Amino acid sequence: MLKNTQLKSCTMLKVALGFALLPTFQQSAFAEEIKVNAFIENATYLRKDVGLSKFRNTLQIEAEKTYKSSGSFSNISLSGTFRLSYDGVYDLNDEDFGKKAGRAISLENIAAGPGATVPFGEGLALPFSFDTENNPNAGMIVLGEHLHATDGGVAFGVPVRPCDTDSRGCISGYLSRDIQELRSQELNDRLDFIRELYIDFDFNLDNGNIISTRLGKQQVIWGRTDLFRVLDVINPVDYSRNNIYDELEDIRIPMWILKTDYRMGATETFDDLNLQLIWNFDRFRPNDLGQCGQPNVIVDAGCFFRGMNNLWENGGTVANFAGGAAATDFGPGQIGIRQANLPSWSISNTQVGLKFEGVLGDLGFSLNALSYRSQMPSLRGGIQAQNGFNGEVAVWPTLIAFDIEFPRVTLVGGSMDYYSQSIDTVFRIEAAHTSGEEFANTLRSDLFSESDVLRYVVGADKNIFIPFLNDKRAFLFSGQIFGQHILDHEQEQRLLGPAGIPDWDENWTATLLIKGWWMNDRLSPQIISAHDFRAGSTAVAMSVEWIVSDNLKFTGGVNFKFGTGARTFDDCRTCNPWAPFTAAFPEHASGSTLGLGGFEPLGRFRSGPIGMAQEEDELQFTLRYSF
Amino acid sequence: MKVLTLGITLSIAAIMSNFALTTPALASNEVVQQSFLPYAENKPTYDSLTAGLIIDQSNVAQYKDVIDPAFYSFIEKGWTQIVVGDTTSFALHQSYIDASEKGYGNVSLGEKVGEINGWEAGRPFLDQPSKDDPRAGEKLAWNYKYGYNWGDSAAIKPFYWKYRDMESAKVERTIKFNFHFLNFKGRVNQLPTPEITPNPSDLFRSIYLQVLAPDDVRNTQLLIHRAADDLKRDNSWLYLGFQRRVRRLATGQVTDAFLGSDLMIEDFEGYNGRISDMKWEYKSTRYMLMPFYNHNELALDTETHEDDDGYQVVAFSGKGGCFPNITWQLRKVYEVEASPVNESHPLSKRVHFMDAQTFTIPRTVSYDRKGTMWKTFTIGQAHPDHHLPANKGSGVSIDDAFSMIDVQANHCTTGQFKGQVDPELSPTSMFSVQHLRATGS
Repeated sequence: MLKNTQLKSCTMLKVALGFALLPTFQQSAFAEEIKVNAFIENATYLRKDVGLSKFRNTLQIEAEKTYKSSGSFSNISLSGTFRLSYDGVYDLNDEDFGKKAGRAISLENIAAGPGATVPFGEGLALPFSFDTENNPNAGMIVLGEHLHATDGGVAFGVPVRPCDTDSRGCISGYLSRDIQELRSQELNDRLDFIRELYIDFDFNLDNGNIISTRLGKQQVIWGRTDLFRVLDVINPVDYSRNNIYDELEDIRIPMWILKTDYRMGATETFDDLNLQLIWNFDRFRPNDLGQCGQPNVIVDAGCFFRGMNNLWENGGTVANFAGGAAATDFGPGQIGIRQANLPSWSISNTQVGLKFEGVLGDLGFSLNALSYRSQMPSLRGGIQAQNGFNGEVAVWPTLIAFDIEFPRVTLVGGSMDYYSQSIDTVFRIEAAHTSGEEFANTLRSDLFSESDVLRYVVGADKNIFIPFLNDKRAFLFSGQIFGQHILDHEQEQRLLGPAGIPDWDENWTATLLIKGWWMNDRLSPQIISAHDFRAGSTAVAMSVEWIVSDNLKFTGGVNFKFGTGARTFDDCRTCNPWAPFTAAFPEHASGSTLGLGGFEPLGRFRSGPIGMAQEEDELQFTLRYSF
Repeated sequence: MKVLTLGITLSIAAIMSNFALTTPALASNEVVQQSFLPYAENKPTYDSLTAGLIIDQSNVAQYKDVIDPAFYSFIEKGWTQIVVGDTTSFALHQSYIDASEKGYGNVSLGEKVGEINGWEAGRPFLDQPSKDDPRAGEKLAWNYKYGYNWGDSAAIKPFYWKYRDMESAKVERTIKFNFHFLNFKGRVNQLPTPEITPNPSDLFRSIYLQVLAPDDVRNTQLLIHRAADDLKRDNSWLYLGFQRRVRRLATGQVTDAFLGSDLMIEDFEGYNGRISDMKWEYKSTRYMLMPFYNHNELALDTETHEDDDGYQVVAFSGKGGCFPNITWQLRKVYEVEASPVNESHPLSKRVHFMDAQTFTIPRTVSYDRKGTMWKTFTIGQAHPDHHLPANKGSGVSIDDAFSMIDVQANHCTTGQFKGQVDPELSPTSMFSVQHLRATGS
């Protein structure tokens, strides 16, 4: 009821803000021009060892209605983008991604010998265990199985069917799509088929300065870098569409935002100066990481979450757990993910930002500040849970029982671009310092800790002629290096391995784009490669875009990864939350990990999005007809 | 040169002979008249060339001396023809002429190519070029750069570019733009003059363009800031619709094909690079057929563009549809060769045929490194008084149609303009980086 009231308040605010301005236009201006553009698109992807992984058909309509200037108002327009898609993969390949996906599974039980397994539900039962009547061994996969063997680590079953077919592990309000919502992601209760809808207007001041405003559902883009989101964090992102590989324009999740720029233009010193205020007054939305059972589940997080929620709700078998070797049957309410606490709508939960931007000859710069909610989930332990040995309900130290939270984050940063005439190269720099982000941390009782983070990207763009390949058109070479430093990183060596924050304390990812053009720019091949240095993983995406006519465009490509792939880290099997039952030896302190590790669940933070998608090589074909 | 009647030359000779007897003010006035009104007393004539004559494959040899070699070869092959029109005066705006007169004698070249001293507005060098002046070509280049061109500001709105296969005549691509131009310095007509301030980077000119169609490049915007200092490279920013982000561009590769067209960035408007990037050589003063005409008297394209004004763009025909259906005038022309300083430049030279009255470059022939003809550029010039009503009296020689033919690739790019000399269409705020962000969607 509370949520409904808050939702209504939010909607009312949007409606009030939107419609309060419309009469102004209706009275003081009249429609001048209406422009409508549309396209239909088919994206068909084929994944190695899987088969069809996408058969998405999209209709997108973009419309803009401009109005004549009136008084001090000019550049008045109303714009909308509407998108509707149907992804046939859930029907055409339903054994991998639809209603028939998953199977009965077995989980590793090395207590019975190397590589031994037990069927789900037949592990070592704790005194308070689970009933397969409530959690049948069907429609599941073993967590991480597509990427790695369990190999002595932990693993558990993950339901993969759409949530209307199998509701196990579906986290209400977060990752709980039914088959229709999977097929047509825009048809949801956030009305995502209205991709963007906003009004623009300029208010011209007597001093020549301009107040430019855009109000409505929109994307607001900060920063100067490609692929990475250092400052470009105002809108959350839908990674379920194509992991990190789609254009951000297509995967940013538009939000209801007020964006106002105070445009000062040229001054005595600067060629251009601008101050921007952002108020994201929409109800919070996190990044869409993909629901387990979808083809794209970034870092497989959605599968981890779904399996963990299923463990919490229904209990289940966990591979190689007891003694670090025996598949163990936990009861419901003992371990897992209890719920996702998405921030409700309130003024205090809205997000605000400020950007000061200018141009000084060859140099461009911005200073940015943003107070926002983390779009990435944080798993906070320290919730009430049942002790599987004695049934006692309490908060247990280092127990792998979590709620998902989205903490408030404060970002300050800036960006810069510079054109070096002497080497004819543009340099782009972007940096941000955040405070408030949370990281998994097996050294902490609640299994998370907060850390300040420094992220930056340094990029360089240069056009180079390679005459023997093309003497008329230069190739674009664009290289970037992205760095991330977790400033309050904690990690230490324990008896059986490292423990603490699994993410690398310092890591860098390099990208290189090479793009060429032939046939009067109608044929354009490109190579994008990305290498995650600490994960030791590389992705290469090669594609060719062929503009058949002004209306028809075909893009074909291949996306493959190589390198280390899955990595291991402390999995908290040896955290001893329920001492003395879970102690490895008499002196083993309660809530203290020994560092026994495996691929799941925390190795994903070391593998990163490239390493975790190691087995997701794809052929990708897209055909778009614009009209 | 055959039987070219040198009425103009005789007139010049008469003026020169009286030079010693005139006062400096009068001399200045006469030089100005000579520079800006070359047809005031006499119009050039050539042999049997008269208005209405059609020069085609059958009679082109007769007019070889008044047709540039590229266009001559096209007619010779039967690819196109020239319809001859009357020679008319394309008088530039009086305020530009006045500014030129005011600056006469105050402007000089600097020590290095690309340096100029004392220029504030108007045509920098009014004296007729002389073969005896080793820097005559460079002075003509400056006259082009600081030409009245589109005036203080203007817009081509819209502007259609068509990429055409010359063999099949297939239009492979049609790109619809809006182009906007704004002079920051050397302003003579629209307030403020002579300079828009503040101008912290000492910009001379800015160009802003927006792509309206087709869909794959729609919302692309480009902003170019050109510094008054010719030795400095442009600053450019690109807004890509699909990225929704402004990115600064490296501008050094000016020989890059612009958006896949047959035009290098350096080709725009005849020549779009730095004066210091070329060695300029004045070759001769000639009388040649040049693409100058009255737009409203042409048979226009009824399909590409139509709007509430009833305005229609220039039609194209001939081989591959690469030639504008216009008329040509016998006009006074400066032939100037520009050879790239950079030896890795793909061209060995451009031969520009600069119109003496307007200092536009309506014809250019480009040669590759081997010295073989590669590209040929035609920019049709329309008289402003026979164009849109709003352009009447603007004194701007309106760029109205272009054709860039790659004779080696048998491919061309054609341009169809709706040029509008209206300051309201190109406010200063449009030429800022923030405008790209504000306009982008």
